[in-house]
Amino acid sequence: MVHEFEGKTEREAIDQAAAELGLARDEFDVEIVESQSGGIFKKGRVVIRVHTREAHVENRRVERPRATRSEEGMVRAPRAMAEPVPADEFEAQVVDFTKTVVEKMGYDCTVSVLFREPLKLGLKIDSEHASILIGKKGKNLDAIQLLANVYAGKLGREDTRIIVDSENYRIRREESLVRMAYETAETVRRTRNSVLLEPMNPFERRIIHTTLNDIVDIETKSEGEGLYKQVRILWKGLRR
Amino acid sequence: MERDLVEYIAKSLVDDPSGVSVNVVEGEKSTILELRVAGDDIGKVIGKHGRIAKAVRTILSAAATKTQKRVVLEILD
Repeated sequence: MVHEFEGKTEREAIDQAAAELGLARDEFDVEIVESQSGGIFKKGRVVIRVHTREAHVENRRVERPRATRSEEGMVRAPRAMAEPVPADEFEAQVVDFTKTVVEKMGYDCTVSVLFREPLKLGLKIDSEHASILIGKKGKNLDAIQLLANVYAGKLGREDTRIIVDSENYRIRREESLVRMAYETAETVRRTRNSVLLEPMNPFERRIIHTTLNDIVDIETKSEGEGLYKQVRILWKGLRR
Repeated sequence: MERDLVEYIAKSLVDDPSGVSVNVVEGEKSTILELRVAGDDIGKVIGKHGRIAKAVRTILSAAATKTQKRVVLEILD
């Protein structure tokens, strides 16, 4: 098996390879594909190719689709179309719970499976009242999602995350957060003043942090207490 | 109707569904829903830092109301 890894230094790339493959350093061979040491304006970049002897490594590895970055700077993991009908008892119960909650709220809806990933189940609510079900900044959708997760936990599947979406709200929100992150970073770079963003949940904050992680002269920090912290974007310049 | 919603959610999340009861107190401007669950289950409907209780209240306020009344959820022990 051949895998490629990337890091700022050779060491970092190798450590990452070991962690992701779940192997000790002496269990695989390393070939350096590309190596650039860091300059004043550039981060170092080392690409390595890892050769493993066992084929079963693939199974030990946690499946994690690589995020692809398109030209607009949107980060999105590729997702295959899923069979919308629940495939097992667990899925049927979570779908049924979600549908019943929405119906008892007084809204007609259909709930179907949007995607399946290891330890992740995506559900989709179709309703003519979708805008109410999503709510301000996704507040209502988040509440429904939280209850669906607690319910899944009660069924003995606390390791499985349930994502509840409607009208592609989550993807649209993610795209607008990425766009906002880049725009704010640009302002911060121009003015050299830091900017404090509105309070966000952990998932949303993570999008901001990862989006700006690769930008050398910009730094992000979370401020505040509790679930809804605020991200501050600041300029740290080009010193290393 | 809100009573049904709260009762369904509570019964789905607790270990002892028979211990769930919802008492409705109709006020002039607001309706108070008093939720009672079996003693051991109280944490199941409140959650860490009140996350579950907060989600239920959010869902309640998003529920369709023909009347303009406010709905208040109280969890009693």
